[in-house]
Amino acid sequence: MPKDPLRTKLCEMLGIEFPIIAFTHCKDVAVAVINSGGFAVLGEAMHTPDEIAADIKWIRDRIDGKPFGIDLVLPASAPASETVEDIIAKIPESHKKFAAEIKQRYDVPDPKGFIDLHQWGGLNQEIARAQLDVLLDERVPVIASGLGSPAFILDAAHQRGMKVFGLVGRTRQAKRQLEAGVDGIIAQGYDAAGHTGSMGTFSIVPEVASIAGDTPVIAAGGVTTGRHLAAALCLGASGVWTGTLWLASRESDIDMIIKERLLASTADDTNYSKCISGMTMRVLKCPWTDEWSRPDAPVPLPPPYQMLLSSDYIQGANDNRRADLMTEASGQGVGFITSMKPARQIVFDMVEEALDAFESLTGEPE
Amino acid sequence: MTERRQPSRTGFDPALAGKRAECDGGGLVPGTHFAGRQEFTGTLTGEYVDHGEPPWRWYLMTDLSDKPEGFPDDAVWCESESVFLVDEPAR
Repeated sequence: MPKDPLRTKLCEMLGIEFPIIAFTHCKDVAVAVINSGGFAVLGEAMHTPDEIAADIKWIRDRIDGKPFGIDLVLPASAPASETVEDIIAKIPESHKKFAAEIKQRYDVPDPKGFIDLHQWGGLNQEIARAQLDVLLDERVPVIASGLGSPAFILDAAHQRGMKVFGLVGRTRQAKRQLEAGVDGIIAQGYDAAGHTGSMGTFSIVPEVASIAGDTPVIAAGGVTTGRHLAAALCLGASGVWTGTLWLASRESDIDMIIKERLLASTADDTNYSKCISGMTMRVLKCPWTDEWSRPDAPVPLPPPYQMLLSSDYIQGANDNRRADLMTEASGQGVGFITSMKPARQIVFDMVEEALDAFESLTGEPE
Repeated sequence: MTERRQPSRTGFDPALAGKRAECDGGGLVPGTHFAGRQEFTGTLTGEYVDHGEPPWRWYLMTDLSDKPEGFPDDAVWCESESVFLVDEPAR
């Protein structure tokens, strides 16, 4: 009997049916994917420890003992802390003027309340430790670190029977984390949504796989179809980490306007620049990104200054549901998202397409 | 929010003081739920802070010769596992 190409060591490690990991900030998506045979990691970086504990319970109540993961963003560097007011005062007048001109030109409405970002307390080591403590107390099956190395928490996690995955954007980061003993490496390429490194998925995945030994490597960045899954396995990965794919799912709680934008978009409709947050970030194009792409636009400021500058536009657009102004982080695989399907259907379609891809290569029916 | 204060301890590692290093840094971008990467090159002072238990060690890097465009500071704290000495053996 031919080997099932989708039965990978990641599946065996986690006790899951399909090597598909959904990274999502929506609990309903996470539960649907888990109950469909995949795995889900819920992003909790912006939540307090109590909110995280509540979300963990909510998920556990709905998945009948199946495994799941929680993602936190562990910082890897930290400047001196400042108040929001200090930071706003440092934004150059030229940049404030440019932002105001965009607002006027496109008739961007004011936010309806206080700008959420201005309420932020920042993320520092203490907050991250408090979040991690919850995950350890709750013995979450998998902790995923979305940026910094989780090496310091490995012993504590392993003593509790937990697994730890690290997301990397460079091979040397993977080597360091593998040497520390992480249980899985998520090799994320440039194609991904949000903030990514500079190495393409097609390059970083096999490079990391070549040094990972028995540790599962999970391919991330642009993965939206079964063909991507099949390709990732051929590159040496044991599974895939998917994000943008779930934004337009039926269960996703993002604004319907954004879902419709995602369905209508292709990779050409994404913009990769620093103009939203000050770090390179891939998002759906919008007037803000178009204006900052002009040759005469100012150079975007570093974070958090640029994020504070863009927050008035972004929240004004979102609060007033202006479809012509709104944006969302989106990977280059967005062109393959063409319908609003239940998460279960997305999983099964991905599996079927991957198996078809393997069959087309080998000529063997499954 | 449940308070779970952790002790912090400062220290000094003379073996690292004055060493040139790269930091694969970054963190949560304020106001978003996304992680953002930032790279630095500078000189380690040898000073460190261990946050909490188990200790999460951070090193101070100054004299930044490479930092994100517009980064306003000349020093940055780098998580220990994200620090790569400039003369580290090839991978």
